[in-house]
Amino acid sequence: MKHILKILALLVAISACWIGLLQVSVIPESYTWLLPLYFIVSLGCYGILMVGVGLMQFPTCPQEALLLHQDILEAKDFLKNKGVDVGSN
Amino acid sequence: MDLADKAVGLLLSVISLSVFTYYTFWVIILPFVDTDHFVHKYFLPQEYAILIPVFALAALLCFLCMFVGYVMLKSKKKKA
Repeated sequence: MKHILKILALLVAISACWIGLLQVSVIPESYTWLLPLYFIVSLGCYGILMVGVGLMQFPTCPQEALLLHQDILEAKDFLKNKGVDVGSN
Repeated sequence: MDLADKAVGLLLSVISLSVFTYYTFWVIILPFVDTDHFVHKYFLPQEYAILIPVFALAALLCFLCMFVGYVMLKSKKKKA
């Protein structure tokens, strides 16, 4: 419950800032109307950018993959010798 | 396999950066340019700068609601 209240308080603060900006008219009014939409679009863009950057930098660890394959083969042989049915790949 | 991942990641970041610069240019810089500059040819009329994101948001919301409803119906049918 407290978390929802925190988020609501943040939203109310942002809307108050926006309405205050509208009243003061430092920026031309057409800009102030488009500003929330601009921030939403840029937030979405930032999310997609972070996903793309993370994908590009994802480490694949080829040596560990090889070691893992060897471990799997070793385990399969061991279990087959003990009589457990390891099945097909 | 990791090359495909890198390519998809690069594509995503390029798309996001181009959308961001296009939208920034559209909303912030274009109103300051005189109306008979040639740059206005490359950008749609300004009403579309509002319509397209709002339409995309509404479509996303509709899709989410449909997906949630579909999953709920399927789970109820499986239980019955």
